[in-house]
Amino acid sequence: MIATIAFGLLIVSLIIQIIVLFKKDAKPDSIAPWISLVAGLLLLVEIVRRSIAIHFVALTGMFESLIFLACFLTLLIFGLRYIKAAKGNKVIPFGATIVAVIFLALASSPLAPADIKPPVPALQSGWLVLHVSFTFIGEVFFTVGFVSAILQLATKREERRQTYDRLAYTSVAVGYPIFTAGALIFGAIWAEKAWGVWWSWDPKETWALITWLTYTAYLHFRLVRKSTSKLVPALVIAGFFIAMFTFFGVNFLLSGLHSYA
Amino acid sequence: MNSFFDRLYDALRSIKLAVALLVLLALFAIVGGIIPQEKAIDYYLTKFPGTGAHIILGMGIDHIFSSIEFLIVAAVFAMNLTVCTLHRLANEFTKPFRKRRHGPDLLHLGLIILLFGGIMTARTRTESVINLRKGESADLPDGSKISLVDLAYEQYPDGRPKSFASVVTMSRAPRSGEHADAAATTAADSSLAQRTIKVNAPLRGKGFSIYQQNWHAEQQAELSDAMGLRFRLDPGMKEEFSDGFALFMAKGQTPETANDAIFLLEKGGVRTVVKASIGQPVGPFTFSGLINESISGLAIVTDKGYPYVAAGFILVMLGVFITYIRKLKGMLA
Ligand code: HEM
Repeated sequence: MIATIAFGLLIVSLIIQIIVLFKKDAKPDSIAPWISLVAGLLLLVEIVRRSIAIHFVALTGMFESLIFLACFLTLLIFGLRYIKAAKGNKVIPFGATIVAVIFLALASSPLAPADIKPPVPALQSGWLVLHVSFTFIGEVFFTVGFVSAILQLATKREERRQTYDRLAYTSVAVGYPIFTAGALIFGAIWAEKAWGVWWSWDPKETWALITWLTYTAYLHFRLVRKSTSKLVPALVIAGFFIAMFTFFGVNFLLSGLHSYA
Repeated sequence: MNSFFDRLYDALRSIKLAVALLVLLALFAIVGGIIPQEKAIDYYLTKFPGTGAHIILGMGIDHIFSSIEFLIVAAVFAMNLTVCTLHRLANEFTKPFRKRRHGPDLLHLGLIILLFGGIMTARTRTESVINLRKGESADLPDGSKISLVDLAYEQYPDGRPKSFASVVTMSRAPRSGEHADAAATTAADSSLAQRTIKVNAPLRGKGFSIYQQNWHAEQQAELSDAMGLRFRLDPGMKEEFSDGFALFMAKGQTPETANDAIFLLEKGGVRTVVKASIGQPVGPFTFSGLINESISGLAIVTDKGYPYVAAGFILVMLGVFITYIRKLKGMLA
């Protein structure tokens, strides 16, 4: 219910942003970021409500993961107001809002049942909570990097391109340490505690590693690239799609493959 | 001669090489992330019939992360990483103290240690599973003994598992020259401290860890003989008598017969299937009921790589945060 209200709010926000985008002379609107903030806080309330119900951090199912991602993404969209390079930019919050709407649309689909279930023993771990939350927060920053990288590829104006390049790099520079800690290190620590093996090449792990290698390649390539290279933003875009595949694809496609075996 | 090594050194510390290798490693991982790894041959034959299975098995894609191609790329990458790290570290030391940035050094150094730990783990890790019932004991790698004092299983109202826990005691390891049994006799001693092993909370010993890996209930059939002596049979086990045996096959399959047991009885060379309710005879024995036995599956793992892996993780974490906190500070200033 709460998630549905947040979803509705974001749709309203999208409509306002579209209107403002098409009015070329208009100043960036002052309403949409606040709607985004309210939506984010509502989703936070939902996470807390569910956590109280199961006496554990509600972060163990597909629905809850999507709510968490959308929550932090909408909060970050609001936060963009305070970041110098993004201030006054209308397209980046718009692009990020679309992603948040997609997350919530998926959350309300049958793919992500919303029933509240307490976790099975393997999931009852503080390391798991750290693992999942850090991974997702890292990915929220990657989302802003993804939108910036698309704009970097799309724009022709050199000065703008540099701004988007910097913004994409800054987003990855914030997201990468958090993702590294969450996806790789806390994930490995949790696996060791739960199963006695810190790395086992299962598909989810392997795809998280691919995500990380892609962003690592980006960070190094950016050190030596020519400033007009299209491969630099392309790696950020690829990184985001791989991260999303790690999240959805592995569950629905690859493990689906297993379940027929 | 010198110039060859110079050129090799320059090639090995090139960031472009690093990017190429990172992309190559990612491509290997993509293949390994799509094609299920380390399955039985039949799995590939049925899952990818025809040429698919031939390609997978012929090229070794079923075990890509231990294939020679992958290992060579990984080895070149490790060299690349090592040369880069040392080169950058040396370079950093030539700078005045306040200008040094050691974040990337810590990070890269951590990765090297992590790699080393990974190799150690791959080469030294052992895992063995012991199945213990209440009161049973098993040997541990350091010569001590573990005994299962109790085990607890909780369910949520909807039937999903809530917790598995094994309460155990461990005898001390035998001192040098002491017979193992002397130390082990104390294993079941009630004065020993009880420790609990749960999923996500392993028990750490000297050089090994014990994990709650699984838990299962097994039904045993209890029988008594003519003298009134009682004994239990696991499913599939038999008890012999003078001209035959009774083998416990299964418990009754319907709700009404859930407390009954099915036996295979051989007597004088003739086999019959006997269904018995409590108190009914099974050959010369009497069936006295089904007993639920819980069995705790504990995995005992040794891994000499783990300390290095842990150290690597810590350095990588520190390094990556230091690198970007400094950078972001610089960008905001
Ligand atoms: C999986 C392996 C690796 C990871 C995770 C990693 C990670 C990083 C990160 C996060 C940075 C900071 C980049 C930035 O400025 O945003 C960095 C910098 C750097 N890395 Fe790596 N790296 C890896 C492998 C390598 C390799 C193989 C080389 C060898 C060429 C290398 C050479 C460098 C250099 C020269 C820098 C620049 C440091 C500076 O700013 O002075 N790295 N690395």
